[in-house]
Amino acid sequence: MKAHGSIIPDRVVEVLRGPAVMVVGTRDAGLRPAHVCAVGAVVDDDRRTVTFFVPESRSARLLSDLQNNGRVAFSFGLASHEAYQLKGTYLSSRPTTGEDVALQDAYRTKLFAAARKAYPEDIARPYALGVAYQPGVAVTFRVEEIFLQTPGPDAGTKIA
Amino acid sequence: MATLPEEIKAAMQGVIPSHVVTCARDGTPNATAISQVYYVDPEHVALSHQFFNKTVRNVRENPRALVWVMSPQTFDTWDLEVEFDHAETSGPIFDVLDMQIEAIASIVGLKGIFKLRSADIYRVISATKNVSERIPLRDIVEPRGGR
Repeated sequence: MKAHGSIIPDRVVEVLRGPAVMVVGTRDAGLRPAHVCAVGAVVDDDRRTVTFFVPESRSARLLSDLQNNGRVAFSFGLASHEAYQLKGTYLSSRPTTGEDVALQDAYRTKLFAAARKAYPEDIARPYALGVAYQPGVAVTFRVEEIFLQTPGPDAGTKIA
Repeated sequence: MATLPEEIKAAMQGVIPSHVVTCARDGTPNATAISQVYYVDPEHVALSHQFFNKTVRNVRENPRALVWVMSPQTFDTWDLEVEFDHAETSGPIFDVLDMQIEAIASIVGLKGIFKLRSADIYRVISATKNVSERIPLRDIVEPRGGR
């Protein structure tokens, strides 16, 4: 059976493991965009699907959009400005589990360490650790296109 | 049309990166981080157009965008529903953006990569403070046992 979706390259997986800042974009039936910050993500073993975690308090519009049209954009970038964007189709969602929260806490720890290199403590701490991430929702989507998003003339280049 | 609150100005000084989500005419969303959203007046913001990227292309075919900003003072965040209005290639707003882009590029080690093509002006349709998005500052603790 033919596999669907793009295989995520090694470097993109490394960047996604972070500590990357993560942004989710969706849209409604009127093509009005919506935004949520994700707090952690994992690449599934098949390298074609990704699960990201968002606060339940911010999930209503996201899930409505995804259940209605399935279109998702997931952007993530390092402090070095190396960044990528995955675009694809919604597959499923569920409440986050204890295992998910452990992954999220590992992500938050790494993000805080990175933020401390860029900001004073009184900004780094709330910036990196301040999202109300619990209770959370895990959202899984199939990756269909991958784009370079590092600032510069090659930003937007499709890489897979 | 909405009026931006005075307190949002702190979130538009380029201290903490902002996010922008747009949507192509075919319904494909696009999400990206940007260095700064510029406060123009209580009803308008500006985004810099340096490369003809997907954000720029999208808003020229579907003008709606969602801009997310965070204050580095209170860490409050806002969702701004905006609509692309016009692009300015000269004038006082363009000059301010050009100068600030140079300053940011210098700070983050990307000097010389950015060249401002236009200051893209957006009308603010709504400005919503995301009251449920943040943990109260006094309650923020470092994770234990992250793996």
